[in-house]
Amino acid sequence: MDADCEHLVRQLHAFLDGECDEGWEVALRAHLADCPPCLRRADFERRLRMIVATRCRQAAPQVLHERLVRMLPSWPQG
Amino acid sequence: MAGHAGDSDGRTRRRPADSVRRHLTDSERRETFEREVLPFVDQLYSAALRYTRNPADAEDLVQESVAKAYAAFHQYRPGTNLRAWLYRILTNTYINAYRKEQRRPTEVAADAAEDFSLYDRIASHREAAAETVFLERLTDDEVREALSDLPEQFRIAVYLADVEGFSYAEIADIMGTPIGTVMSRLHRGRSALQKALYSYAVERGLLARS
Repeated sequence: MDADCEHLVRQLHAFLDGECDEGWEVALRAHLADCPPCLRRADFERRLRMIVATRCRQAAPQVLHERLVRMLPSWPQG
Repeated sequence: MAGHAGDSDGRTRRRPADSVRRHLTDSERRETFEREVLPFVDQLYSAALRYTRNPADAEDLVQESVAKAYAAFHQYRPGTNLRAWLYRILTNTYINAYRKEQRRPTEVAADAAEDFSLYDRIASHREAAAETVFLERLTDDEVREALSDLPEQFRIAVYLADVEGFSYAEIADIMGTPIGTVMSRLHRGRSALQKALYSYAVERGLLARS
């Protein structure tokens, strides 16, 4: 693992969060295009986030929707 | 200078831009609230479920938060970030009311996991490209439990970032903490989440213990 790979590992989450400053963003993007092992790592983290996101989304029960609409007129308004 | 166009009353008629809602009738305001806020109920419930860890409390939390949002709706400025505003109310309501009853001694566990990387564990003893296949084999319950079992501050930060896609600045605003604190909670929370998924996978025989 060379220095570029180490930078990537350290910055990967910020990069995937879209929170790297622009210089890093460009450098990491270039490194990923050029380094299959780092790309595989990045893909893994992306995939994991996607799995967490999709599996943790659950719709509210219909009764809750109905109750809120019904109760709204009785609540104090600001 | 339109207000000066031959109208001496012009100045007194001017209103601040954000006062629009105060001029709505009660039923107009209710309709606006129903149209703009109620579509977020599924998302808020999803977050409430991870925050409180049980469906009954999640319903109560959403109901209380929506009632608070309704009471404070005149303070919301049209055109600003409604979703973040609602999550701030939900998160504050949870932190102030619900957590008192369900404090759990898990803060220590996450310290030990500060630098855990699931990828490094798997990649060290697995064929290349098998990593994502393994991820697909985790069950919904395993993923949800791994997140729900994180210490509260980590759980909230990771949920807001990884499920809701809020920026660091938005999460800082929602949780009322500096951005540096958000980053540290995300780092430690994600490590702990990955560590939990790793141990589920080992328990279930998806991975050999390394």
